[in-house]
Amino acid sequence: MIYRKDVNERSPLRVFERSIHGGLGRGNIGLVMSRAGVGKTAFLVDVALDDCMRGRKVLHVDTEHTAERVRQYYEEVFRSLAENMDREEREAIHVEIERNRMIHSFVGGSFHLDRLRQAMQYMKDHIDFVPGLIILDGYPQWEEFNADQLHESLDGIKQMARDTDTEVWLSAQGHREDERDELGVPLRLQPYLEYLSVVVRLVPESNQVRLQLIKDHDNPDLANLHIELDPKTLLLKWQ
Amino acid sequence: MSTAITDLSKVRNIGISAHIDSGKTTLTERILYYTQRIHAIHEVRGKDGVGATMDSMELERERGITIASAATYCSWRDHHINIIDTPGHVDFTIEVERALRVLDGAVLVLCSVAGVQSQSITVDRQMRRYGVPRLAFINKCDRSGANPMRVTQQLRDKLKHNAVMMQIPIGLEAEHQGVVDLVTMKAVYFDGENGEIIREEEIPGELVHEAEARREQMLDAVSMYSDELTEAMLEDAVTEDLIHRAVRKATIAREITPVFMGSAYKNRGVQLLLDAITRYLPDPTEVHNEAIRLENGEEITFPVKVDPDEPFLSLAFKLEVSPYGQLTYLRIYQGLIHKGDTIVNMRSGNKVKVGRLVRMHADQMEDIESAAAGDIVALFGVDCASGDTFTDGRLKASMSSMHVPEPVIKLAIRPKDNKAQQNLAKALARFTKEDPTFRAGTDEETGDSIIAGMGELHLDVYVERMKREFNAEVETGAPQVAYRETITRKVEFDYTHKKQTGGSGQYGRVVGTIGPRQDGEDFLFENHVVGGRIPSEYISAVEKGFRSSLERGEYIGYPVVGIHVDLIDGAFHAVDSSDTAFQAAARGAFRESYLKGKPIALEPIMLVSVEGPSEYQGEILATLMQRRGMIVGTTEDEGFVRIDAEVPLSEMFGYATVLRSATQGKAEFTMEFKRYGKAPLEVAEELRAKWLEKRSAGNA
Repeated sequence: MIYRKDVNERSPLRVFERSIHGGLGRGNIGLVMSRAGVGKTAFLVDVALDDCMRGRKVLHVDTEHTAERVRQYYEEVFRSLAENMDREEREAIHVEIERNRMIHSFVGGSFHLDRLRQAMQYMKDHIDFVPGLIILDGYPQWEEFNADQLHESLDGIKQMARDTDTEVWLSAQGHREDERDELGVPLRLQPYLEYLSVVVRLVPESNQVRLQLIKDHDNPDLANLHIELDPKTLLLKWQ
Repeated sequence: MSTAITDLSKVRNIGISAHIDSGKTTLTERILYYTQRIHAIHEVRGKDGVGATMDSMELERERGITIASAATYCSWRDHHINIIDTPGHVDFTIEVERALRVLDGAVLVLCSVAGVQSQSITVDRQMRRYGVPRLAFINKCDRSGANPMRVTQQLRDKLKHNAVMMQIPIGLEAEHQGVVDLVTMKAVYFDGENGEIIREEEIPGELVHEAEARREQMLDAVSMYSDELTEAMLEDAVTEDLIHRAVRKATIAREITPVFMGSAYKNRGVQLLLDAITRYLPDPTEVHNEAIRLENGEEITFPVKVDPDEPFLSLAFKLEVSPYGQLTYLRIYQGLIHKGDTIVNMRSGNKVKVGRLVRMHADQMEDIESAAAGDIVALFGVDCASGDTFTDGRLKASMSSMHVPEPVIKLAIRPKDNKAQQNLAKALARFTKEDPTFRAGTDEETGDSIIAGMGELHLDVYVERMKREFNAEVETGAPQVAYRETITRKVEFDYTHKKQTGGSGQYGRVVGTIGPRQDGEDFLFENHVVGGRIPSEYISAVEKGFRSSLERGEYIGYPVVGIHVDLIDGAFHAVDSSDTAFQAAARGAFRESYLKGKPIALEPIMLVSVEGPSEYQGEILATLMQRRGMIVGTTEDEGFVRIDAEVPLSEMFGYATVLRSATQGKAEFTMEFKRYGKAPLEVAEELRAKWLEKRSAGNA
């Protein structure tokens, strides 16, 4: 484990983990939602980098952008994280991240859960890569799928998370015109909360973006997260 | 002598692209025969020893494959067709890509027995990348096992083409007689000794039903892209012309791939394919091309206007040796060119007089007076490199230059005898002009010639061509990787160079630090000496001394990079100090301190992209990981996968073979230099052992 202990403990993701009672947990699905451009992908990359730096394997799946584009995103986020590290440390951590992360993108509408599971099987069989966390950005298509399709795909993801013993993080986009409940969840997403163990929402405020906890496993008392994102970099702010 | 063709709607620049054994050369030969460019038919690997006209290189003749592209022209029903012969072999993709750049449409030739093979897939993907509209010709319908329906389905399944059959075969295998044209709804037969007489008949009774069904399918598919045709279908008023227009529109938009068939060898179906080329493939004005001009140091792209009245703009896309001298193939994008004109090479600024302008027909040629935008011609004796842009000199623009990758592999070559030595120089001069990815130079230590290129196979072909075409037989060394070395710690130096050998002596003292540079640049020298402790006239000598030390490091004997020198102090002698003395002092300081700086070996890391069918992604990943590869990412698209990885160059030798056997030849890869990275200790130690051995043997 190459990640410096002090850095590790100061990470906003440790705070987050404590708030949701020990993390998402293998076999479970987490969801981050926000309006466009508020920082969903940045949040997911933050979560992924945190795992990579702690020596855990991460599979980042994107159904829209090429693997190159996703990698650039990681590079940008890492650059600002590594700002205060010296060259040797930065390089060593960078290598560690690249070793622990696999980016797999499906472009041209070619994504299918079976294909993803097949790809994971190939990685396991041929290069012994077995992820503990899957970032699945861009699937399911909340707005294009009908209710049956959404139930089916979430069920499939849940099954995959259990079968492969992984944590899975998804994203969903909200809209200004969405009707919402008292927690700010768009009503159209409510029927699917049952599949999700943790749900967070990014709430843009005047000079920051606040992380709001909407679902925390089965805990009725939701912690008031004191975690914010920098509105410029869209990265989690360190305390 | 003929003059420029200005009715651009009658010009076609096409490629014929195919897998090695699908009969492309035979098809091209027949096209040239029917368009009366040649007057006899020779077979590839023919018994008469003449060989097909398009395969102009001896090597190709022997192997029965086409390696380099040649351009030839012919005319068919008052259309002017330039055929750019594109190779179908994965290892020569620079050739393919260069040819694709200048053509406006293509015929994809498929074997009716073997169907869509891996190389068809590769070439097809390259065409997709360059947005080339295609027709398919399913060849060899006379062969045992021929099944054009299955091949059409493969076009849909494997290549994701919206393949639309425009014909159905009349009989297959030994029974193959001709085709039914689904537009005219006639049976077409090819009579005469060479199939030159076309006979149209009613559709044979047993095929009427199938022909009607297939026509229905064809119309359904095509009408998706034409409201006009859809309306006509509803009113039962479909005309041949309406169908042609709709097929043309959809083909150019790359929405459909019309499928034709026959047997080039048995002279069946070729003329109808020629009709289709003129009817459905775009003329030069229907294709979007861009050029680049420089404005205030910024590259601005602008669309090319295919118009003879615009300023002259052209691209030299191919250089070739002919028995009469160097030929330069030119695609004209704008304006006119006349014999006697002066044109300017935009890269070198050289002015060139057009002494002779010709149209090429493989090995023969025809002189012409002028040529216009949209055409392809050849110039004689013009000194330029492949990929150069020529204009009239007033237009300062360049055809968006094709990406030319840096060579990654070096090979030492040594001529076997004196004669070979002389011929080798000619061969190298020729190859470097023809192929921008091939470089030649000299190894300073051994005096050997060094050739560099894109891969082992690439260099192998040139070694072979040296022998065959230039009678220069060479011995080759092992492929070499260009390593580098650097230090990781900052160290101090304090070195005095002193020599007293009667007469005037030598004296110089330098004090300072030497350490790694953080920014990745090669060398930085900073002078902090104050109070004239080293007179300023000697400072540059000190810098020079350090710089010359970088040529070869003391750790593994390779060039040193990433060094930062701070000169802090020193001393001089009024009489004995000199430039030479301070240079020697700097070299001594470097020698003394360098190894204390914990040197490391650096190796070139390549960005390797492997593309292949998705089902091979596991195998591809494994081949990369076994080579110390770091997977950058995987992108899946329509049954294909591209895996990018960073892999040390030294691990990539023999990769083509390994990849081919791991994926049954269905994957291809490209690589380019990415950066220098730290080599693992075991690699560094091996390199160091070799260097120490070499040094103690007195070779360095």
